[in-house]
Parts: sequence; structure tokens; C-alpha cells
Amino acid sequence: MPDISKAVPKLDEEEKMSGRAVYVDDIDIPGMYFARTVRSTVAKGRIVKIDVPKLPKDYHIIDHTDIPAKNVVKMIFDDWPVFAEEKVTHIGDPIMLVVGKDRAVIDDICENIAIEYAEEEPVFDFRDSAVDYRFEKGDAKKAFERTARHIEYTYRTGYQEQAYIEPQGFVAYREQGRITLIGSIQCPYYVKNAVLDTLGCGEDDVRVKQAVVGGAFGGKEEYPSVMACQLAVAVKKLNVPIKLVFGREEDMEVTTKRHPSTITLRAAIAEDNTVAALDAHIKLDGGAYLGLSNVVLSRSMLAVTAAYTIENLNVAGDVYLTNTVPNGAFRGFGAPQMIYAIEMFMHHIAKDLGEDVLEFRLKHLAKQGDMTATSGHFHEPIIMPALIERAMEMSDYRRKASTYAKDESNHGIGMSWFFHGCGFTGSGEADHIKAEVKLEKDIEDKVHIHVAAVDMGQGSKTTLAKVVAETLGIPLADVVIDNPDTDFVPDSGPTVASRTAMVVGGLLARAGQRLKSEWVSGETVVVIEKYKQPDHIRWDDEKFHGDAYPAYSWGVNVVEVEVDPHTYEVRVENVTSAYDGGKALDERIVLGQADGGIAQGVAYGYLEVMEHDKGKLKQRNLTDYMIPTAVDTAPTRTYLFDNPYALGPFGAKGFGELTLVGGAPALALAVEMAIGRKVTKIPVTPEVIMELMKHGKH
Amino acid sequence: MVEHIVPATLAEALEAIADGKKEVIAGGTDLMVQRRKGAGRLPDFPDGLVYLFDLDELKYVRKTADALHIGAMTPLEELLKHPHVPNLLKTIIAEMASPALRRVATIAGNIANASPAGDSLIYLYLIDANVKLISASGERSLPIHEIITGPKTTCLTKQEIIVEITIPIHRFTHERFKKIGPRRSDAISKASFAAAAFIEEDIIRDFRVAFGAVSATVVRCKDIEETLKGTRVDALKEASRSIIERYASHIRPIDDQRSNKVYRKTVSTNLLADFIATL
Ligand SMILES: Cc1cc2nc3c(=O)[nH]c(=O)nc-3n(C[C@H](O)[C@H](O)[C@H](O)COP(=O)(O)OP(=O)(O)OC[C@H]3O[C@@H](n4cnc5c(N)ncnc54)[C@H](O)[C@@H]3O)c2cc1C
Repeated sequence: MPDISKAVPKLDEEEKMSGRAVYVDDIDIPGMYFARTVRSTVAKGRIVKIDVPKLPKDYHIIDHTDIPAKNVVKMIFDDWPVFAEEKVTHIGDPIMLVVGKDRAVIDDICENIAIEYAEEEPVFDFRDSAVDYRFEKGDAKKAFERTARHIEYTYRTGYQEQAYIEPQGFVAYREQGRITLIGSIQCPYYVKNAVLDTLGCGEDDVRVKQAVVGGAFGGKEEYPSVMACQLAVAVKKLNVPIKLVFGREEDMEVTTKRHPSTITLRAAIAEDNTVAALDAHIKLDGGAYLGLSNVVLSRSMLAVTAAYTIENLNVAGDVYLTNTVPNGAFRGFGAPQMIYAIEMFMHHIAKDLGEDVLEFRLKHLAKQGDMTATSGHFHEPIIMPALIERAMEMSDYRRKASTYAKDESNHGIGMSWFFHGCGFTGSGEADHIKAEVKLEKDIEDKVHIHVAAVDMGQGSKTTLAKVVAETLGIPLADVVIDNPDTDFVPDSGPTVASRTAMVVGGLLARAGQRLKSEWVSGETVVVIEKYKQPDHIRWDDEKFHGDAYPAYSWGVNVVEVEVDPHTYEVRVENVTSAYDGGKALDERIVLGQADGGIAQGVAYGYLEVMEHDKGKLKQRNLTDYMIPTAVDTAPTRTYLFDNPYALGPFGAKGFGELTLVGGAPALALAVEMAIGRKVTKIPVTPEVIMELMKHGKH
Repeated sequence: MVEHIVPATLAEALEAIADGKKEVIAGGTDLMVQRRKGAGRLPDFPDGLVYLFDLDELKYVRKTADALHIGAMTPLEELLKHPHVPNLLKTIIAEMASPALRRVATIAGNIANASPAGDSLIYLYLIDANVKLISASGERSLPIHEIITGPKTTCLTKQEIIVEITIPIHRFTHERFKKIGPRRSDAISKASFAAAAFIEEDIIRDFRVAFGAVSATVVRCKDIEETLKGTRVDALKEASRSIIERYASHIRPIDDQRSNKVYRKTVSTNLLADFIATL
């Protein structure tokens, strides 16, 4: 059998390279209307009065009074309204849509709508905890009592914007009484279920189709449901096709971001200078609505010890509501904040103890069979020592670290170790998602893949098709996979959580096996496969106890930097990574994820600054919000280890998020070495470095 | 109907703007961004545009005995390749925007836009460049610091077109440019620094320093420079601290979405100190 990792041209390559791919904004329906959202200009308050100018013929206002059923966008928490009623909770809170045929006239109407608010004092600090989770492992309290030395640090992280190429958008229309929505989305069934709730209609009355998606990075996980509900309400009332597409600035100002965090870590140090216990408090800024922030918090908390094993833990987490843009899903989903914090902390402890940092970390490295943070077990082999050795060798880490730590060259090298839990947290796959996939062989013996997984550029169409082709032993050209359409595909779950290759791919491999045994040439054969939790995986959602994930992917990032002594600018010189993602389903696709993920992760550490001033984001376009260009991206080398996972298709585990989560700590550690000062806050911008040089701790 | 004009000659262009209504557009890399509208809408130019991009007569680089003459419509990328363009200017242009933008963007646009962060401006100030303006009723030539009257404001009238930038030829033994952008390409300067000196037998004959993005316009202090000419290099180095102090009151940056004033001021003075220290 040929090695599945061998790269093939992506199935959608031709379509995209030729410019023929149809994105939402390319869709033009005769007689189509446009919509624009009128939004709150205050961070908190009550709407006292809305003055709408006299509308020209065929121009309409759609607001909460038009909602047939619930004024709620179904996510995990039902706190996100489709349209604000009397209360507004952040700048950008949607109040109504203006709908009509000419965008210039719509803009004019929007500018002339006068809204009077009774403003209230907005909250921007961590005061209103709305989610409060806790768990323990071992007996941290006792360990703290029994040890004399305790070390504490607090780490802070900022916003991160997904900055997908294509801003969010939908086109919606009526089709024989039903409403069809075509969107730039990651989760067709999230959108469908949200619209069903808002319209209060039956299963069959709503159809959701995915247009070609120009990037998502998590940003198109839950936010599209907000737009879809608004648009569905408008289409239901006006009975015309309508397009709602954001410009870049509106998109950046109102869609979800990575949660800013403050993480306080306290360690009890045993006699032998190891960490006997860890006390962690993870605080996330949820913004104005919770949406799915509690799940983000869970993932942060579950990553509390990252690649290390610590026997005694006391872990607390809170999501705070603030009067700012709601935060949400973003590649890594809570893990980047935590992995940054724990990696810095392990270094800071070692330094404060006068221990060799590498030795200290190796002593704590997790091994197969160890208890996870939630007292489950690492069931699979952990090959971190091999990854670490390879990454250090490729980057010449040992020599460089010992030289740079001493000299005045302004160079630094940092190395992060991390894992990423694959698939939904805890029992999510079994209890909530209940994924289902369908394979349909037609009379020409072509096999059609029916899944809700979205190819947003990450290559899932190609990898899933390869899994099916290889399982069946048929040519790739005989496998057909289209963009999901809820009329045809079962709910194989959202395209999130590094679950597509492992979980959806795993189901497809099983379906493929069955199809193979039921194969009758020239006849239609349909096979449906449903998710089953592996027997050895046990999870208690209430107590945060057990196996939080069925499998883990592992990685090592090494980042080398030079800091300009006069301007404090950071220049990333090179990046080296080693990953265990089980088995690459396509080497080029996986390396593409690796290059993009690490660039995004490193940039999170030093480049991507987003702040708000009294609830108003200061960086609202790509001139002011910096993502790395090709010139900023350092030479990047990646080594992929094979460590096949028995339950993944051909051994594959998750890979998409793994490549992001270790970038920021590796970068921050490199800067720390270059400047000889402890870094406790990212992004570590030149402005921050200047302050550290003046006042920082060694 | 809005009328846009694409003149083939400078004379036609001047006639088209003679009534002071239409705006001129060169590469459009500032103008199109500034006039952007929401999703799906084109920028609005209610009085019409006069496109300068076909004016081949304004695309040239000519060298005379004492100056370099740059035609206003010469794209930045051409200047980057041109053998007569001074290296210091090339260094600056190479850090402006990105190759695609530089194929259309012009120095004239950078001048007329008059942003305190405009990167070519720091050079034009440092070198005492002159800017030639023509209108249907005549022409005038002014030094750059008289053209630019404040942040985003110039003395240009709506009937005038920048036709040429004149760069006097100087001899320097030391040149320095540093752009502090938030990233390494396609970035607006948070601060910038340019300096040049001519040293002969250990004596400072010429000494110039300019700071960008730290005040309403580029900062250049000729009075300070004058007092330093004629000093010995080691004396200058010894006086570094007091020189920096004299500059400090002229460096008055702001806080904004790209950086803060403490940083801008600190790095500006660091760069000056480094320039002096390495003479
Ligand atoms: C992504 C991006 C990156 C950028 N990076 C940089 C950077 O690194 N550094 C930097 O300094 N700038 C940068 N800019 C800004 C811009 O590219 C420059 O200011 C450029 O020099 C403008 O030239 P233009 O020919 O495109 O001007 P235009 O946009 O055509 O015109 C700008 C203004 O000048 C006027 N004008 C143009 N030509 C004439 C003329 N001959 N006579 C009279 N008036 C005239 C126009 O009416 C308009 O008001 C960037 C812009 C973008 C979009």
C-alpha cells in the first residue's frame, strides 16, 4: 500500500487558483437585496429612543420585533441576542438591519438613524464572573502546607484577531417556503440549529450551505450563527434574497477574538527542587456575551500543566463578562494562553531556584501512563524525548542557549513543549456532537462523502477523500466530496477542535471498511457510521475528572530572535519544530498547517496587538492590526514524527491547532534570553521590551 | 454624472483642475484607502478625479551638476532601481509599503499626503529638497518644509500639481536611516530616523538629523546642526548627551493605536545617540 502521507494536489487547488471558486460575496441572485447592521455606539446602556428617517420605498428595518420565536442565538449559553432590545452591552451590539437594494442608500439611512441611549457605567475589569470552574488533583493544599518555598507569577495575554482573508458573510433566500442560507462558515449545523431556534420552525424549513471559505481559524465557528439568525429573520419577513457581507473593519470590530487572559500560578517547591503542587487561577475576558467561552475556559484549564506532570493541583477558572466585543473560538481555543503561562512559569521557577532550566523541565515531562491534570491517564505512547532531541539538534539549541544566555549579543533562543487534546473536550463527542458520516456509492462506483466538515483552506476535502480512497483501495478520482449542504450531509459535527482528521476521518475509515465489505459493483450502496466513545475513555463533566481527550498530539517549537538594542524591535531569525500528530494524512497539507500555525503563534507572542479604549477597539483594520507578512516570517523547519494512534484513520491525530499553541512561549522565552529580563506579558512588543529593559526583573 | 479625466499631457491635466474642483490622483495608494466605503461600495469622488498616471513627461530621473531631478509620476519602484538615485533614498524606499504598492505609489503622493509618518519626507527634509509646483497660471518652487504646513496639510492649491522633486547633491561620509515600523513590510512608521554627516580630517563639516512621526511634521533643527559644524568628532561624541537634550524638546510624539510617546521619544534619542557614537 502506498504511504498515505505522500502529498497529492489538493482537490480544490484548481478551483481556487483559477479564481473560479465561488465565495459568498461572488454570489449574485437576480433581485437580491443587501443588508447592513445598525450597532450600538455605547459600551453599556439602555436604548431610550430610536429615530428612523422616513424610509424610501422598498427599504426596510428589521429588528427584534420581527423575530418569530426566540431572540437568542443558540450557542452553548443562551445569552447572545439576535438583536438588542432595550439594553446594549458593547460597542457594536447589533440593534437592527437596514435592508434594501442600493448599498449607498442603505448607508445613508444608517447614518441618519438617531439612537438615544441612557448610558451606564461599563465594566472592563475582571469583576463579574459568569463561569466559575474548579478542579483538583491529589492534595495541593497539603503539599503547600508541607513545603517551605512557594513561587508565584502572574501572566497576561492580549487579544488575537483571526484575520482570515475573507470577512464573514451570508446570502439567504426563500426556496419553496423554506429558507436557504449560504455562508462563509465552519459549522453548518451550528448555523442551522441556531436559525431553527430563532425562527421557531421545523427541521426541514431551513437549509444551510457552505460557500467556499476564505479562512476561518475558529472565527467562523460561532459568530456566523449571529449573522444567519438576523438574516433569516429578514428573509422570512421580506421574502427576498438578501446578502449580508462585512467589510474588513466591521468584521474586525464586531466578530469574536481570542480571550485576553490573566493567569496566576503558584508552585509549592519540594526539598528536591521539583514542583510538588501547583495552584492555578485562570481568568478569561469573555466580552459582552458568553457564547461558548466556558468551553474555551475548560480547554485552558485542562492544559494547565501542558507537557508536564505535576502530582497535586488546585485549578480555578473564571470567565468574566465585560462590556467589550464578545470573545470566542480561535485556533487553540484557550490552550495558547495557558501553555504560554505554564511554559514561562516552569522557566521562571527553574531560574529562581538556580536550577538548570532544561534539566528541571525534563524532570517534570509527562510520560505514558502518567496521570493527566484531571486524573485521567496518558494512554498512548509519549515520544516527547525524541521530539525534544530532534528539535534541539536541528536548531543547535544547546550551544546557542548556553552562548546567548551569557553574551551581550542581543540574541535569544526559546523552546516550548506542549500538547493539544484532540477532539471535543471530555464527553463532548459522545454526549453533544454524536457525529454521523455517510458514504454513498453510486451506480458508476463513484463514492460520495457526506460530512458536515468544512474545508476552509486546511485541506480537509483532500485528506478525507484520501482516507476513503485508501480504505477502499480505489483511485482518489473516484471519490467525490462537495461543500456541505445540510439537505444532503448528516451532522458530522463542527469543523473545530482538531477533530476533523481524527474523528470525522476515523468515522469515514470505518464507513469505508463497511462499504468495502458491502460493495456490489454497479449498484447504489449507502453506509452510515456513528461516533462511539472508545471504551477506555471515562470523563465526568461535573467534576472535571477522567480522560479529557481521547488522544493528544505533541510538539516542540524552537524560536530564535534578535532584539535591536536601540529600538527594542524583535527580529525572528528562525523557527524549528518537531511534532507528533500521529500520522500525516498528507505531508504537504500538514506542513502547510505547521508553517501557518507557527507563524500565527509566534506573532501572537510579539506582533499582534489589539487593545480597546473604553470598549472601542483601537486596531480595527489590517493597517493597524499587524499580522506577519512574508518578510516577517522566519525560515521555518519542521520535522514530523510518526506515532500512529490506533483509533485515528491510518494513525492520524489532531494537527491544526497543535502548530499554534507553542509559538508564543517559544518566542517570549527567546526574547527573555536576549534581554535578560523576565517576560510575563504578551504580546512582548518593543514598547513592552523598553519597559522591561528599564524596570524588569532578571 | 461625475466626470473623471485621464489627461495625456500635463497641459491637459492643468486645464482639468483649473477650476479647483477636481482632485488629482497618482498611484492612489493613499487616496483610495482614505476614501474607502463599506463592503461592496466603491470610493466616492463626487467632483471627479484627474488621473496623472499617463503623464509620461513626469516620469524621469535626471542628473545635473548639483542636483537630481525626479519627475513627480516616477513610481517608487523605478527609483529603487535607478542608478542615479542616492543610496540613502533607496534604503528608505526599500522599506516603504511593499513591491506591488511601490509599482504605483509616488513621492509626490507621499508629499501631498503630508503624513507625519510619510517615509520619503524624512529624506526630503534631511537633504533640503525642493518641490516644483505648476498650475495653469504659473509655477513655483519651494523647499519641502514650506510645502508641508502641518499634519496632513500642505500649501498646494487645488489648481496645482507637483511636477518635480529636486534633490541637491551632497557629499556625506556617514549616512543612517532607521524605520521603526510595527512589522517589516507594509507598515506605517511608528517613528523614523535619518542622519548624515560629512567628516573631514576628524572635523564635522556637515551634520544633519531628521526625525519622522514624532511631531506634527518631520523634525529637523538646523540651529542645533549649525552649532555642531566645525567641532571635532571626539568633542561631538563627548557632547552627545547635551546634544540629545537639545533635540529632546523638539521630539513631541503622541500616543496612538500604533505606539506610545515614551517609546517614540526613547527610540528616537537612542538612535541619535547611536549615530553620534558610531561616527
Ligand atoms: C499597504 C500600504 C502600505 C504603505 N506603506 C507606506 C510606507 O511604508 N511608508 C509611507 O510613507 N507610506 C506608505 N503608504 C502610503 C502611500 O503608499 C504613500 O504615501 C505613497 O507615497 C502615496 O503615493 P500615491 O502616488 O499612491 O498617492 P495618491 O494616493 O495617488 O495621492 C495621495 C495624495 O496626493 C495627492 N497627489 C498625488 N500626486 C500629486 C501631484 N503630482 N500633485 C499634487 N498632488 C498630488 C492626491 O491628490 C492625494 O491627495 C502605504 C500605503 C498602503 C496602502
